[in-house]
Amino acid sequence: MGVKKPVSYGDLHFGTQTEARAFLNAMLNKYDIGDKVSASDAVILTAALALHPEAEDKIGVGIKDFSVRSADFGSKCFWVNRNDGTTDKFSHKACV
Amino acid sequence: MSLADLQSWLMSEGVSEDIAALTKLTARSDLCNLAAETETIDPDNIDWQRLILAGSILARSERRFDQEAALRIAVAAISLVDDTKIRDAGAVLLDKLSNFRAVTLGVSRGLILGDLDGRLGVSLRLESQRREMDRSVLVETTGHWLEVNEFQQQFWTGASAATWLSASAPTASGKTFLVLQWLVDQMGSGGANVAIYLAPTRALVSEIETNLEVLLKGTKGIAVSSLPLRTKFDATKADGSRLILVLTQERMHLLANVLGADFLIDLLIVDEAHKIGDDGRGVILQDAIERATRLNSQIKVIFISPATQNPGELLTDAPAHAKTVAVDSDAPTVLQNLILAAPVKGKPRRWMLNVRQGGADIEIGTLELSSTPSSFAKRLAFVAAAATGERGGTLVYANGAAESEDIADLISQLQPDNDLKPIDPELAALAELARKGIHPSFRLAPLVERGVAFHFGNMPSLLRLEIERLFRLGKIRFLVCTSTLVEGVNLSCRTIVVRGPRKGQGNPMEPHDFWNLAGRAGRWGDEFQGNIICLDPQDQDAWPKGVPLRARYPIRRESDAVLDAGDTLVTFLKARADSKPSEIENSGEFEQVGAYLLTTYLRLGSIAKAEFAKRHDPDLIQSLDAVLATIAKGIEIAPELAGRHSGVSPIGMQRLLETFRLYQGEPDNLLPVEVASDDSYDRFVTIMRRINSSLFPAFEPDSRATVYALIVYQWLKGRSLADIIRRNIAWHDKVGRKYTLPSIIRDTMALVEQIARFRAPKYLSAYMDVLHLYYVEIEREDLIDDGLDIGTQLEFGVSSRTLISLMELGLSRMTAVALYEKIARDDLDQGQAKKWVEDRTDQLEGMDLPVIIVRELRERLLADGDPVSPDEGRV
Repeated sequence: MGVKKPVSYGDLHFGTQTEARAFLNAMLNKYDIGDKVSASDAVILTAALALHPEAEDKIGVGIKDFSVRSADFGSKCFWVNRNDGTTDKFSHKACV
Repeated sequence: MSLADLQSWLMSEGVSEDIAALTKLTARSDLCNLAAETETIDPDNIDWQRLILAGSILARSERRFDQEAALRIAVAAISLVDDTKIRDAGAVLLDKLSNFRAVTLGVSRGLILGDLDGRLGVSLRLESQRREMDRSVLVETTGHWLEVNEFQQQFWTGASAATWLSASAPTASGKTFLVLQWLVDQMGSGGANVAIYLAPTRALVSEIETNLEVLLKGTKGIAVSSLPLRTKFDATKADGSRLILVLTQERMHLLANVLGADFLIDLLIVDEAHKIGDDGRGVILQDAIERATRLNSQIKVIFISPATQNPGELLTDAPAHAKTVAVDSDAPTVLQNLILAAPVKGKPRRWMLNVRQGGADIEIGTLELSSTPSSFAKRLAFVAAAATGERGGTLVYANGAAESEDIADLISQLQPDNDLKPIDPELAALAELARKGIHPSFRLAPLVERGVAFHFGNMPSLLRLEIERLFRLGKIRFLVCTSTLVEGVNLSCRTIVVRGPRKGQGNPMEPHDFWNLAGRAGRWGDEFQGNIICLDPQDQDAWPKGVPLRARYPIRRESDAVLDAGDTLVTFLKARADSKPSEIENSGEFEQVGAYLLTTYLRLGSIAKAEFAKRHDPDLIQSLDAVLATIAKGIEIAPELAGRHSGVSPIGMQRLLETFRLYQGEPDNLLPVEVASDDSYDRFVTIMRRINSSLFPAFEPDSRATVYALIVYQWLKGRSLADIIRRNIAWHDKVGRKYTLPSIIRDTMALVEQIARFRAPKYLSAYMDVLHLYYVEIEREDLIDDGLDIGTQLEFGVSSRTLISLMELGLSRMTAVALYEKIARDDLDQGQAKKWVEDRTDQLEGMDLPVIIVRELRERLLADGDPVSPDEGRV
């Protein structure tokens, strides 16, 4: 058994990483591929992405907004759209 | 004995043996590689006087069989013997048959000496002159008299007098030529300000548009367009000029949607009108005609169809005040030899040929092939190559695109080795277009360099039109075609070679379809006769019902055929309202007509008030009305909205509206995203799946939606077909999926035509309209963009302003996209786009653009090119 590690996205606090992942997973599943993430969810995702191990690279010049798009093998994931027009996918599971 | 009795006697006894002899002689004269015969008929021993007399009696008959015999005698007289008097008599007989083009051809070939009138006696001369006067029509805009045949004269007189006219005549009767002449004359003389020419296939649209441009060259004040856009319409109104729009039925609906109450037209011409019976698209055509006539009560309507039994059927829906005329001609203009070819037992390289005439088969000789044909494809290829020899003008019918490529390849291998000769520049240009516009290894390219080509429906129009033009010119000598040709391309030939023709998914051709194809043998004015060579006529697999007897097409509306299903249709409608369309039997068959019936009900409150109701059992109409009334109670889609999307069911539109209402996300996520956005492709996938589950399963299975969305995305992005093919190949390589190059090229072309240009515009247009309705309902009109309709963007595969401008200027998509790759700005209007080209007039040849693309640019945008008619080379 690993150590329970609390996770916070702004004002949102989760007792464990599993809970945080489940929350983001539920958020992801609200969206269809091709959807723009809503402004309120984007606030949470911005906080979450800051916890990604490659946060600096993923955020780059700055975040414009987020989308949900297709990923490998018919799955879907969050994508960060940056202010310079570039875009990159990231795994929400790593944002803990 | 009456005249009719005399004619019957002549055909059954009087000259039947002579006609058989002439048939053998004339047919043999038109074929190559026939084995020499020991016993031959000497044409000089034929009693020509007697035959010419019989010919002039038969020429007065209304029966096609008699007229064919008279034509056979006339053609034999001018071509088989070297006696001026007999040849002159043959020419007079042709004149009696109103076959002035054959006389002109005889003169140009030196078979008939010039100044025929001068050699005739006074009475014959007077008679000939009277016929010439009778057979001429006045072109009002030029003041010239145009020499016409009987059909053409009936058409011209009828079209000017009637409000609704339906004309039918065999393929080589000069129908299209005359209709376009008449149309241009009408526009020029003020008979109409805006005319729509409905052509039920995109192939025919391109052909008619090009023909009209040639006819109108130098004429000011009449514009031609095939784009369903407001701009041309408004420009016409503003400067008082006139407009001819050449459209498919789908494009006409798009135009009517854009114009709304401004959809005002004076003249509607419906070409290939028998296609009102086609499965799926027939009812869309019917709906387009009804929509145009409903919105324009004084409109003149002209239907044209090839060799149909009942052209008058199309007039049954004319308004009570309309003056209707049916013109029905079945007169032959060229001889057509139906030749049955079967291998001699034990000698596969020798094929026995018989001409079928009436009920009898006349042996004409043995064809010698250069090699043994070990497969069906080889049989077609070898017989075509042997019978045609060096002359060309041969069409070979293939059952499918893949087979057409294989047969063309085989034929090309039998052509004389021309390695030492330079390739004709026009053939080289076509090969270049195939390599640059499709793929460097596209099989067409090396074939056309040897004068052989294949032709199928999903090819880009610029390429297909050029193939057809070079075939008409004789530079392409063999063209292997598929059913696209039966689907409305005006292309005739000298010889057709066919074995067990199929249409669609392997169904043997119906007799009328076979004869629609076979009727193209013999180019009136270019040749005296045409040959239809049917291989293996006794083979039950190839010809389950034998080689079909000559038959004309029965016109029958798709809607009437579906209504005749009676209770099955009632059951379908009930099921459609309660279940998913994918779970319903007959869904594909009834969906379009079901949509039409419900839309009609929504508009009129009862289908009993519609014109079609009078053709059906009142009890059926009543039970349909009852079902439709129940369905209509649950429909909030207004009739005007339903009417904008022909063939899309209001039930599906209602379900889509309900899906939107249940949607929990941000409302703007329901919209497609512009192709510049990274979300665009994925959004299309989601929208297509939403369409599948709510509107109609047009992009099923859901797993295929990714492929369909990708094609739509790339097409809208303005990518060239070559680029889309290249990317598809690269994807296959990347994921390690196996493919063959010819099939991946064909499949990509099919996806573009069938998905991006047909299904996607139809269903995405309806999706957008329902979404707009929803946005109004939730007071989010701010999300509605009034830009170019998505249906139009998809039909033409353009999303940038510059690309649209280039196409508005009349360029094909292929040329517009190729040019757009050189243009930096994406926001040029028509004037700016034209100027961009004008500023680079001297640089076009250096831009690495295919020659045919540069030619189109010069023709359409610069004054220095003469339009090249698809008919160039014809009389």
